[in-house]
Amino acid sequence: MRPPIKPMPPRKSQYGIAPELVKKRVADMPGITSLLVSELFPDSPKVVFPGDRGIEAVRAATEAALEKVDMSMIKPNQSVNVLTSHHGFTLVGGEPFAEMLRTIRDVVARRTGCENIRLRAGVGLRFRETEEYIKRFRLDEHYKGKASGIAPIDEGIPIETEIGTLYGIKRAYDADWIIHAHNSDVREVHFHRQVDKVVKPFGMSYARIETRSTYHHNMGPRAANFTARAIFDSPFVQDKFAFTSFLVASPSGVVGVDADNNLYALNDRLTAAGCAFYGKIMTLLGQIDECIAVLDFPCPVPYVFAAGVIYANFAGANVDLFDLDNALPAYTWYTEAFYGKGGPLVEEVPPVNPAIKMCVHNYAWGGYPSAFFAEHIPTVVVGREQADLMNRDPQNLTYMNFATIADGTDAAMRFARAVTGTDKIIIFDGAAGGINVSESLAGLLVARAPEIGRRVDQYLLPRWLEQRGMDISVLKNLKTA
Amino acid sequence: MKVVTMYPEVNRDKCTGCRTCERVCPVLAIKVVDKKATVDMSRCRGCAACEQRCPVYALAMVKRDDPFTVQVKVRDEMLPRIKEICARARINPEYIVCYCTATRAEEVVAAILEGAATPEEISLATGVRTGCKVECIQPVLRLLEAAGIKPARPEGGWQWYGRTITAFEIPQAVKAKFSKRGFYFDEDIKLLDKVAKATPTKEGAE
Repeated sequence: MRPPIKPMPPRKSQYGIAPELVKKRVADMPGITSLLVSELFPDSPKVVFPGDRGIEAVRAATEAALEKVDMSMIKPNQSVNVLTSHHGFTLVGGEPFAEMLRTIRDVVARRTGCENIRLRAGVGLRFRETEEYIKRFRLDEHYKGKASGIAPIDEGIPIETEIGTLYGIKRAYDADWIIHAHNSDVREVHFHRQVDKVVKPFGMSYARIETRSTYHHNMGPRAANFTARAIFDSPFVQDKFAFTSFLVASPSGVVGVDADNNLYALNDRLTAAGCAFYGKIMTLLGQIDECIAVLDFPCPVPYVFAAGVIYANFAGANVDLFDLDNALPAYTWYTEAFYGKGGPLVEEVPPVNPAIKMCVHNYAWGGYPSAFFAEHIPTVVVGREQADLMNRDPQNLTYMNFATIADGTDAAMRFARAVTGTDKIIIFDGAAGGINVSESLAGLLVARAPEIGRRVDQYLLPRWLEQRGMDISVLKNLKTA
Repeated sequence: MKVVTMYPEVNRDKCTGCRTCERVCPVLAIKVVDKKATVDMSRCRGCAACEQRCPVYALAMVKRDDPFTVQVKVRDEMLPRIKEICARARINPEYIVCYCTATRAEEVVAAILEGAATPEEISLATGVRTGCKVECIQPVLRLLEAAGIKPARPEGGWQWYGRTITAFEIPQAVKAKFSKRGFYFDEDIKLLDKVAKATPTKEGAE
């Protein structure tokens, strides 16, 4: 069996415990092996990062993608906001995403003569998070002091759309031009269902609370994505939009960079790519019959990931997340909101993935409402410090009401094995290009992968794309390795 | 229901009196007085919005010596009005409005029935909008509207701007134009309506 993939190291952040308090990683324990996505699915796309050329490959891919983009609308005396958000900074360690952002600035300055280029980085529910990344990846220096975080409670600006007034963050739009810079990983596919994935940040990362609340409460789990499209289509945003650049992600790593003046053309390519690249691994993980899920990554509980798939996706993997005929995945905030006091209010609400017999929270952050996970999945938190972290987090004041504490990683894993009776372990620790699992689970996944690959190619992928009004042929224009 | 365990401590040397904290506080508990941020401990719900947005990092969240719980009890005599207002808003009384505090629509309406007439007063009474600060403003505004209340925004504040569209109000032309692109408008309307009309569970009737 392969040795485990080195997990992403703990990070210093106000949203997590101090890195030195993470005494042991579960990937280092006996009986843990790893599976590469490219071995499970030999037709996985080639990656540019990680790779022999290191981070230079990302710079080269960004420069090549931007070559075909028209930047003539940007004049030397004007201002440009490069809009982005937090998610890319945890992808394969974050450096590839940071390098794409650096390269965008360099290319725009070189080609247009414009120097007033600002980085405006949106956040999820941890309002200082992008400020931490700006510092960590020295983006403030690269953007010559013009890099800052923007949050959904900052001053707003009304945006008139074809579905009425929605609200953006004023500082996202306080420039003559905007450049939309993101990554295409599908970690929160349970929310966006790979519908308008590339457009979504206009309804989230650059949007005020009113708009985000519209998405999560007013529209329904499959209609909600239209909120972002309405904002992007507004004359206000169209008058400022210059172009877009995306780091193209896959479960194996960074596949390339794609850029376009036409956001919807890119949207089609990356929507299809998302279904094609991630559909197999997500469907395969849905085959797991029983397991202990381990969180071991510097991110909030639902966002910890491995092989490009987050824990929240896995909590919903008992349902086909891409199939829009399923009204709801097993976990989204819509699902959560539909749980009445005595259980789901309607029969369309599926249960949380019953394969997860227990969750060992070895290392994960607060800063995202996560009590639902502890309430629905027996959870063991390693160490008093992490319990205290959750107890002082205004978004998680009841998380520990449902979870228990173990003194150390060994004790937590021993307890989980004894209580669940399973030795199948899946670890969400940011392993790049693959996933760390116990040998018993590796056997199951290797055995099932070929059939899952066939089923996705022949039946599921065409169905997913048809539901989104597109054809696999759009992939031929994708700029990848 | 919200357990209030923290409060912001102001570093007066760092505070520049910029009023950002005042503008983002969902319960109007922090104000700039004599060019320095000042916290009203009785109003503060420990959400950390001020600490998270202070541009000079002048605030730190610390543990309260006297943690307390805010909650509006849903009384039996309120139930008919709660059902009526929730039905008008097309929200089930047991619908979870705030994921951080697991506050249900019925408690928000109970707060309204007890006199809360703005999102700030509802947050003060129930704790909604004092967790993540982001996701729950729309159901709060919809329930106020359904109760016949048009709240005034805090003057000069960024607490909230306005109610936005619901799925039930999407123009037919928009639905027709985009339904083939994966936006399941009519199917989701059907689902939302079914949830809104679902009979409260046994526990919910308590």
